[in-house]
Amino acid sequence: MKNIFNSLIILLASLISWYIRTFTKRNGSTWPGHIALHINPNIIQDIVSQSNTKIVFIAGTNGKTTTSKLLQHVLEKNGLKVCQNKEGSNMINGVATSIIRNSNWQGILQYDVCIIEVDENALPLLFKQIKPYAIIILNLFRDQLDRYGEVNVIAHNWAEVLKYLSSETHLILNGDDPQIYFLGNDTKALVHYYGLPEEMLQPKEIPHDVDSVYCPVCGTRLKYKGMSYSHLGDFNCPKGDFRRENVQGFAGEKIPYPLLGMYNVYNTHAVMLAAQKAFDLSLEQIKASLHGFSAAYGRQERLTYKNRDVTILLSKNPTGFNQSIELVRSHFKEKEANVMIILNDRIPDGQDVSWIWDVEYETLVPFARNIVISGDRTYDMAIRICNTFAKQPQITTEKDNSYSFEYITVQEDLHKAVDIAVSQTDKNKPLVILPTYSAMLEVREILVGRRIM
Amino acid sequence: MKNIKLTIGWLYPDLMSTYGDRGNVITMQKRAEWRGIQTEVRHITVGTDTKEIETCDILFMGGAQDLQQEIVTKDLQDSKGSSLKAAIEKGVPALFICGAYQFMGNYYKAADGTMIPGMSIFDMHTEHPGDQKKRCIGNIVIEPLIEELQAMNIQLVGFENHGGRSYLPANGKAYGKVVHGYGNNGEDSTEGILYKNAIGTYLHGPCLPKNPELADWLLAKAIEVKTGEKTELTSLNNLLEEKARSVMVEKVV
Repeated sequence: MKNIFNSLIILLASLISWYIRTFTKRNGSTWPGHIALHINPNIIQDIVSQSNTKIVFIAGTNGKTTTSKLLQHVLEKNGLKVCQNKEGSNMINGVATSIIRNSNWQGILQYDVCIIEVDENALPLLFKQIKPYAIIILNLFRDQLDRYGEVNVIAHNWAEVLKYLSSETHLILNGDDPQIYFLGNDTKALVHYYGLPEEMLQPKEIPHDVDSVYCPVCGTRLKYKGMSYSHLGDFNCPKGDFRRENVQGFAGEKIPYPLLGMYNVYNTHAVMLAAQKAFDLSLEQIKASLHGFSAAYGRQERLTYKNRDVTILLSKNPTGFNQSIELVRSHFKEKEANVMIILNDRIPDGQDVSWIWDVEYETLVPFARNIVISGDRTYDMAIRICNTFAKQPQITTEKDNSYSFEYITVQEDLHKAVDIAVSQTDKNKPLVILPTYSAMLEVREILVGRRIM
Repeated sequence: MKNIKLTIGWLYPDLMSTYGDRGNVITMQKRAEWRGIQTEVRHITVGTDTKEIETCDILFMGGAQDLQQEIVTKDLQDSKGSSLKAAIEKGVPALFICGAYQFMGNYYKAADGTMIPGMSIFDMHTEHPGDQKKRCIGNIVIEPLIEELQAMNIQLVGFENHGGRSYLPANGKAYGKVVHGYGNNGEDSTEGILYKNAIGTYLHGPCLPKNPELADWLLAKAIEVKTGEKTELTSLNNLLEEKARSVMVEKVV
């Protein structure tokens, strides 16, 4: 009876999906799952428990989508059949939609592996439905404090559920993030730590806007032998309560990293360690399969628009934005690239845009050739950029309602702003776009001409 | 005025700094420097000598998470706490945001009834009504009740995010009247507190970049206290700030 019941739910969810996709041109990733869960709150559990599929959870503030996509790529290249929840559908409804879409009418997943990217707050909820085969936890940075709350609270909620794991689950943790490292302390799961090799960690001052630099055991401020960025690095508690050890940094391996930036070294190492420990692939097999990978939408995505060389770097929180700036500075010559910053404040972006004051725009502004600012919160960003100058810039109002100062243009209307950025960029020259999440979807629609979600 | 140097004391930047609080410090610094007034930003934290507070011309402290607040409570129990109090009594302008504002009150009553004593610099207290009651989250618009700002006929905007509700005594002086949002407690339309030249507020956003008049008020008071003379700051172009503010006011009110 239960199987027939679930088959009917799957049929209904498929009809809803078909309707949404056909008539609204949207992906419809939440509604089918929402309705299915309403009819049978255990639908996820039912499908997973009768399937012979290994479930992998991927959680963390930054890098979930890229890491999921890269793991899928590596496993598929090594002969496994893999499915994944589509990006943006990482809350419980979206996960349900995705599980249903990937199962057959009998409610069986016909894949070897199912990778599920999980929202920070959805992780404890999902544990009630699924016992995962492996969990990768990437990092925990400040992000949308109005929606997620404080990072200490998230870490605490994660620890509460991870301690019930058995030794049948692989727990792959970022060993350079003290709060993530600590998650491996109180669990029976098979814990594996990845990080950067020591030679990539530099001695530097701890940035001012980080949360996880206190010993989770005794509260003493941690010491770092070397750091990569934000609060990530080789840490130890001066009182000896807690230290980073047994972290796989893949030192000395010649790894063909498929993406730029230090943050993608972390993402790649996470995938490599998971493939090695949880899927028994050799390092040689893994390295060979890193080739031919292309980034997810808006993450280091390169495209040509009106003959301009456009790169989109999703930049949705202080750590992510600072990493994008690092990448721009290391990849382009000074005053070579035009930059466009788009700041939105919708639900997926977070309503509170205070975080822009924690980003080091002081290092980006003098490096950029021209800058165009747009988005829902154009003027908040304009004030932030204005405050990087030593002398107050002369601000003028233009005919098309834009403002300008120095080599910076402020235009609220995104279509007009894109036109301005293009007109300021010579043919075949680089234009780097730094958008928040909803802004990334919007600007992509302008550049590519169709909606992705 | 050119030969004046203002020292901005940033209290516990490593512990009490969330939600882009640094923007307040950057704004004060820039608006002084753009007028040719030199500044020094001094970080005051655990291990900093108490004397460092005594020579600050403006004091600033941001919000924090619980663990960090415990460390600060311990540190302010010694002479540093009394220096801070003395500075505020002397009229040194100060800005305390959210968690820092609560902390400067008489006490904080947690959801489980635990009483956490405050610095009693501000005559007010805060109560957490428990997790069943919604946090006060969202954009906020207020009318300032500071004399010099009232004359300008402006509104101030910010973003608030707090679980605790603050209450002033009957004769307490709020620094703003809520036009949209919650403010101190979502009940009596008061927002923050004004005591001498010190302001406690729930306005993140951060507070000062979009409300440059408030930043200028703090700078002017600092010069006044330092030199003993009233001062008129040269005017700056506030085109972007005014536009940002009007966009927000139109959006929410």
